[in-house]
Amino acid sequence: MDPFWSYGLMIAGGAGWTLALILAVIPVGIVLGLLGAAAKLSSWRVLRLGAETYTTFIRAMPELLVIFLVFFGGARAFNWLLAAVGFPEIQIDFNPFLAGVIALGVVQGAFATEVFRAALLAVPAGQIEAAQACGFSRWQTFRFVTLPQVWRLALPGLGNLLQILIKDTALISVVGLADIMRNAQIASGATKQPFTFLLLAAAVYLLFTTVATAVMMLLERRANHAWRRA
Amino acid sequence: MADSTAAPLPLEIAGMRKSFGALEVLKGIDLKARKGDVISIIGSSGSGKSTFLRCINLLETPDAGEVRVHGELIRMRRRGGAQEPASAAQLRRIRTKLSMVFQSFNLWSHMTVLDNVAIPPQQVLGKSRAESVQAAEALLQRVGMYERRHYYPAQISGGQQQRAAIARALAMDPEVMLFDEPTSALDPELVGEVLKVMASLAEEGRTMLVVTHEMGFAREVSSQVMFLHQGSVEEFGPPEDVFGAPKSDRLKQFVSRSF
Repeated sequence: MDPFWSYGLMIAGGAGWTLALILAVIPVGIVLGLLGAAAKLSSWRVLRLGAETYTTFIRAMPELLVIFLVFFGGARAFNWLLAAVGFPEIQIDFNPFLAGVIALGVVQGAFATEVFRAALLAVPAGQIEAAQACGFSRWQTFRFVTLPQVWRLALPGLGNLLQILIKDTALISVVGLADIMRNAQIASGATKQPFTFLLLAAAVYLLFTTVATAVMMLLERRANHAWRRA
Repeated sequence: MADSTAAPLPLEIAGMRKSFGALEVLKGIDLKARKGDVISIIGSSGSGKSTFLRCINLLETPDAGEVRVHGELIRMRRRGGAQEPASAAQLRRIRTKLSMVFQSFNLWSHMTVLDNVAIPPQQVLGKSRAESVQAAEALLQRVGMYERRHYYPAQISGGQQQRAAIARALAMDPEVMLFDEPTSALDPELVGEVLKVMASLAEEGRTMLVVTHEMGFAREVSSQVMFLHQGSVEEFGPPEDVFGAPKSDRLKQFVSRSF
């Protein structure tokens, strides 16, 4: 087979790993972001302090550093923790994919914390008061009033984070995940045609971000449905 | 009390106080509402009338005072210098008996009119979906909003939103309804439709507390009028007395400015 096609297929395979990484990080980022925002707005000082520490540290560090910390230090720390709670016989290894999900998830969560915090503060007080006056519990208020409205307010900010996430996945190639970026580099080196394969990689990233933009537009339309005047 | 053998009052408030920082907004207010009472609470802005209403269902936490709903005291406890509800579960239960209609309607914007009315009984009172929807549709019929039940709040007028909000309050089948300036945010031509619904509730014997600037409503519909001035009850009595023969100069001034 022509080397262009065989290396092209390799990059397409890498795109599968990149996509899997993106899809795995999104829920981690959203859950950490919601928890972080809830903690920042909590009346408990310990929670506020914890969330503040989390976002300050993570947002201060280059993503690459977080990835190295998780990949090289994460498994060791985890095994040490397992031994400390009495399971020295269990030894786990972080593969590049798992390290990527954790590292990027933690980074996304820190930024999503700020997105959700702003969105939570933007839900009109009267919406919450109406729920309280009806006898809703705190959980019911969150589930039926706050969450559906926060979702809508957070979507534009989350769309921004998704774009950044798509590009940040390329960083995981440095610890050996066979993603788009790593395979493009291998192809470039082997064929001495760096431009061809780097441009191919660029096209795949562009395709991903374009689809992401379209999906976000669709979600925003759906979320804003109730606010449009008929 | 002379009629201590009678059924407990729907609402009884004793010695309610509230300060915001150094500003004392409520200086010890008492109120007894009998079944079917429609009590209009009037007074100039800053007199504390909205705060008083919000302290009853604890959207604001009063600094002191007792609230009894159908004889049951809302239990409070001290924490630091302030009061707080002693039992969240009790507060939730009592709040279902004190439904509130807000100045800015506060219908949930992401729900249709029908869901706004059907979701609270379903979630809070544990009724079935079918039963809640059926009851909601009947109530929306009653406030003239049945045809618009599938609209979202952003798609209907303020008067329609407030009528739907009244249906939401009715859906809890409350002991007492609290109205916090229900027509103040409405365009003048929409005030009438809301007042009409409220008058019909008064007629069917609902116990209502209405903070209002609508003196016509206070005079014609209410059974009692409470005039608040700077956080105290200046006068209280049937509308004929309060409007017909005001005793204090302040009420005289207020009445002459209002009509």
